[in-house]
Amino acid sequence: MVERQLPERQLPERLSPLEPVYHPGSHGNFEHGVDVILSETRPGSILQLAAWPGEEKRLMSGIYKVTGLALPDGAGGGVVNGAKAAFGFAPGKFTVVDEAEGLASAFTGLITPSIGTITDLSHGRTAIRISGPKAEWVMAKLFAIDFALPAFPLGAGRSTNHHDVFAQIQRTGGDQFDIYVFRSFARSFWKALCHASEEVGYEVH
Amino acid sequence: MSPRRTETGGRIDRLRTIRFTFDGARYTGHAGDTLASALLANGVTLFGRSFKYHRPRGLLAAGVEEPNALVTVLRGEVREPNIPATMVEIYDGLVAVSQNRSPSLAWDIGALNQLGGKLLSAGFYYKTFMGPVIGPLKGTRFWMFCEHFIRRAAGLGRAGTAPDTSRYERMNAFCDVLVVGSGPAGLMAAKAAADQGARVILAELEAKFGGSANWSGETIDGASAADWAARIVGQLEGNDNVRLLPRTTVWGYYDGNTLAALERVTDHKEVPAKGEPRQRYWAIRAKTVVLATGSFERPLVFPGNDRPGVMLAHAAERYANEYGVLPGERIALFTNNDSAYRSAVTLKKAGAAVVAIVDVRSDVSNEMSRLASQAEAELLAGHAVVATEGGKAQTGLNVRRFELMSGALSGDERSIHADCLLMSGGWSPTIHLASQAGARAIWNPARQAFLPPQPTQRWIGAGAFTGSFSTAEAIAEGRAAGIQAAGGSASSAPLPVVEAVPGEPDPAPVFEIKAKGKSFVDFQHDVTAEDVRLAHREGFVSVEHLKRYTTLGMATDQGKNSNVPGLAIMAEALGKPIPEVGTTRFRPPYTAVSIGSLAAERFGDLKPDRLTPMHDWHIDNGATMFAAGLWYRPMIYGLAGETVEQAYVREAAATRESAGIVDVSTLGKIAVQGPDAAEFLDRVYTNMFSTLTVGKARYGLMLREDGLAFDDGTTWRLGEQDFLMTTTTANAGKVMQHLEYFLDVIWPELKVTVTSVTDEWAGAAIGGPKARAILAACVKGTAVDNAALPFMGIVHGEIAGVPVMICRLSFSGEMAFEVYSGAGYGMRVWEALIEAGKPFGLVAYGLEALGTMRIEKGHVTGAEIDGRTTARDLHLDWMLSKKKPFIGSAMMDREGLIAPDRLELVGLIALDNRALDGGGHIVEELDAENPHDSIGHITACCYSPALGKYIALALVKGGKGRHGTRAFVSDPLRNRFGPVEIVSNHFYDPDGSRMHG
Amino acid sequence: MLITCPYCGPRDVIEFTYQGDGNRERPQPASQDLDAWNAYVYDRLNPAGDHNEIWQHSGGCRAHLRVVRNTLTHEILSTAFARGGHKSAGHKAGGHQ
Repeated sequence: MVERQLPERQLPERLSPLEPVYHPGSHGNFEHGVDVILSETRPGSILQLAAWPGEEKRLMSGIYKVTGLALPDGAGGGVVNGAKAAFGFAPGKFTVVDEAEGLASAFTGLITPSIGTITDLSHGRTAIRISGPKAEWVMAKLFAIDFALPAFPLGAGRSTNHHDVFAQIQRTGGDQFDIYVFRSFARSFWKALCHASEEVGYEVH
Repeated sequence: MSPRRTETGGRIDRLRTIRFTFDGARYTGHAGDTLASALLANGVTLFGRSFKYHRPRGLLAAGVEEPNALVTVLRGEVREPNIPATMVEIYDGLVAVSQNRSPSLAWDIGALNQLGGKLLSAGFYYKTFMGPVIGPLKGTRFWMFCEHFIRRAAGLGRAGTAPDTSRYERMNAFCDVLVVGSGPAGLMAAKAAADQGARVILAELEAKFGGSANWSGETIDGASAADWAARIVGQLEGNDNVRLLPRTTVWGYYDGNTLAALERVTDHKEVPAKGEPRQRYWAIRAKTVVLATGSFERPLVFPGNDRPGVMLAHAAERYANEYGVLPGERIALFTNNDSAYRSAVTLKKAGAAVVAIVDVRSDVSNEMSRLASQAEAELLAGHAVVATEGGKAQTGLNVRRFELMSGALSGDERSIHADCLLMSGGWSPTIHLASQAGARAIWNPARQAFLPPQPTQRWIGAGAFTGSFSTAEAIAEGRAAGIQAAGGSASSAPLPVVEAVPGEPDPAPVFEIKAKGKSFVDFQHDVTAEDVRLAHREGFVSVEHLKRYTTLGMATDQGKNSNVPGLAIMAEALGKPIPEVGTTRFRPPYTAVSIGSLAAERFGDLKPDRLTPMHDWHIDNGATMFAAGLWYRPMIYGLAGETVEQAYVREAAATRESAGIVDVSTLGKIAVQGPDAAEFLDRVYTNMFSTLTVGKARYGLMLREDGLAFDDGTTWRLGEQDFLMTTTTANAGKVMQHLEYFLDVIWPELKVTVTSVTDEWAGAAIGGPKARAILAACVKGTAVDNAALPFMGIVHGEIAGVPVMICRLSFSGEMAFEVYSGAGYGMRVWEALIEAGKPFGLVAYGLEALGTMRIEKGHVTGAEIDGRTTARDLHLDWMLSKKKPFIGSAMMDREGLIAPDRLELVGLIALDNRALDGGGHIVEELDAENPHDSIGHITACCYSPALGKYIALALVKGGKGRHGTRAFVSDPLRNRFGPVEIVSNHFYDPDGSRMHG
Repeated sequence: MLITCPYCGPRDVIEFTYQGDGNRERPQPASQDLDAWNAYVYDRLNPAGDHNEIWQHSGGCRAHLRVVRNTLTHEILSTAFARGGHKSAGHKAGGHQ
């Protein structure tokens, strides 16, 4: 839903759920080289946009108008452009992410009730990035989906889970993935991700 | 130089010496040795004691099918029992011990069991432990009495008790082609598929790729087969599309071409690298599988076939060619087929004396006779071995003339001096994975073997797996399979040229030589041919029953050696051909799989923790946390020296006295949005939501389709088409699925989006007489008085500089407010409320105090909405709208759901001033000794600080009609019986004046 | 067992939740025909062979699917969205068909 913003001004910084377990530096088997880099990207806005059946194109053009992101057709299609990213994660549903806060209000006039709904999940999802030559290898330890580039192209999104932890995953680079997990699970998931990365050596940014 | 190590040859690294211990003795071996080959090189022939009879046993095989030489590997305190010595790669510092012997391998007191051999025959346990009908050892008590001793005497390795500190991991893999097995067929398949551009995984259960190429001594394309294999592996290594998995056993073939494999990542290493798992469980989804799993050589069944020194023929070849170890100095062979002749030649070349080849066939081809001469072996065609001589090591064997058609023995026994007897009973394709994948194996009378069934999943067989036992066939079939699996068209390019010792693949149909003495079928479980016949005599005709009665094939090797001989002996006893007796389906796992690898990353941390935004504050402020599903919630914030009861009573009392605050972030929260949101809620809830005005909340009840109560909670109308539904913590997921199901399957025409926003919002409930004053002290941008924020009203404001949404509703019965903020601000808002509350005596309270206040108020939760109660049972019938149908409305008035004797919600007060317990029953009669006729049970209980009494909520027959009457609580398990008064569930402030203020 | 979600492609069965017999028909909401309601709530077909089932891709896109599954072999014969529409989303941006 649309979070009601008070008069325009800078809001205080949000607390990360990873705070006590987020340890920048090199870890695991890093003496032999760091093969993945882990970070929390902390975007200001994470939105879910959902279109009624048949209204997907209008929703996608709305996303283009606000963000400049031209979503490709097809299930799980997505696109990344610097500070902004968008991808489909379910039939008629898209995740749109922006480094800046307040993206929801930009959509309010545009995504009308005849097109679909806007749900602000900026606090509710935690964004974790993994990159590096062994990113696919580490991800494959946690998720039962195919991370190879031909099967999971750049920009594309996937919905899956790691045990009880729901995750939306977008490929944001040749060897880079952004993972969106429920905030309440983020700390547990982060620990699992770090554990899985120890074998290849990892660095937290 | 070790006593049995050859001067040259083998594929071990003779420059690298490795030191290890076995049963405390120090040994050395070379890099590339297995524990089996290294010990054999050191002259060790006694490897273990058998399961039942404690007979001395040596190496039977050289690979995964080894049934005798099972060892326990020790890593510190951690023991890994029952590993075939043939599968243990030696490393510096390896500590291995033998099993099932006491006090030592050479002098085993359990060997006395051999004297009682008759007693321990098939069905021993069933027969002996039926037990007397009467007396102190009646029934199974005799078994229980003996069990301790028998468990010690019979058995395999002992599991350890030290915690396994190793790391295990899971890996998910996808490929176009999974090739299982890396012999010539597998290598060709992998190469051909990779050349077509396919994504290939090649899994080999041994350390080295190449399979039989590593020891066959054959020549491929002018190079030794081993060098050829190494060259192909080198080419595969350089291909980015290929993943090579050595030491990886594919052990399960499941639906949808999903295969399970176990990679032993560091079992062969002295010290694993940091973060490196000991074993990795691979879940592989392959578009197509090439099964190139080869075949097993079968033992022959004859008296004394288990004596150390008796070995499978190919295993000896392998020890000689791959490891440079001779299993004996004077070697005899016993065979029903041609392949043993090649073994004879190999061993001769490696430096052993081959004294005789005993062949059950009287008619041996000229080619084979030539090979026998080449090996300088005496050829005893039409003969059979009838006994072996020796104690813990073999000294000789006896042969007699053998008639192939009748199986009759004739003539005098002739004794042959040999310290090693190699046997070959033909070959069985390793069809386990194909069998797991679905279909029944097919008996091939020529090969005397079960061949793989028609594929029921997407796999292609190649090589010995299909019954094509020659390397040339393996290479051709492997390439064809690889191309086909990758979707290519057949190649006419020339195939690698194989130079091999000739031999026909079909054995003579001889499995057993019937002579006096124990002839073993299943070496690992000590099942003899006579046991199989005994089972038949006792009426076991089904192969499945035979298996369970004799335990044939049920040891850790799962009958890899014994399956076909056992079946053949059973078939003969039944007088039926083998295919009519059938074979058992192979089930996963192919080899033993560690539990750790299955638990993988969940080891020690089974479930993810779900934490609220204020979690760290709770910990820092002394909360005792309670696991509620995946969530962690404060149970109490205990002070030093307080009991749980003292803590919650203090917290609840302080809340009713001044104010309390509780973290309610775990409540399920679902955004219900869209033009049809209100209509949808009207259908989902029993009461109306379309009439709710924006900025107000309403308590709602949901039923299941069958009319029973499902969940309750408040739903807030934030906008015309925008609702925030709250659910109980426990049911959040179920309610979400319920809503999604109706939107997707039943009412797809409704334009409604439902989204889990549980994690979007941090929630703090602040209640008590001072709650409003505390809010007023810290909220900006809105008033919180009765006019601005009436009961069930919602306002938006700001606390500590961040936006908040406040709804005035109450679970505790006090005037209370739920303050919601973005989860990232939850801690900030919480701390601001705590700070603002200090002058007012605000306390933080946990689940116990929350529960206490809701019991006092008579609110229901999951304890009462237990899947058996109706809205009426819970006195929520006022919420059942008559103006509209809703989920459950058609079914809720069925006869049984409105019966007068249903359990209804009531309150209880303990009249003996003692605590009540959840689950305790309510009875009418004062009969503590024999409580009977339960009229209901307790669902929730506490000490009520408001009433100064122990109280409870209960579901009791007759419900309201019993208010003011007395009954008894009966809880025999907790030794509790006492009087209670049945009262209304609304113990506290029944008219709601405190809440409405 | 793999189930091919029309949106997400083939996924392991652990990502899915079985939601029952797909042959059931819910009576009109206002219907008072108790027999029809009983049949809907309690009666389930249990064929040895092809069966129409509802599954939710609960560990993925959360869509409900109509799945035809052979209960003897576990073979999945077809999958489709339980809710019509979203036809444009029936193919993937890459990889799976």
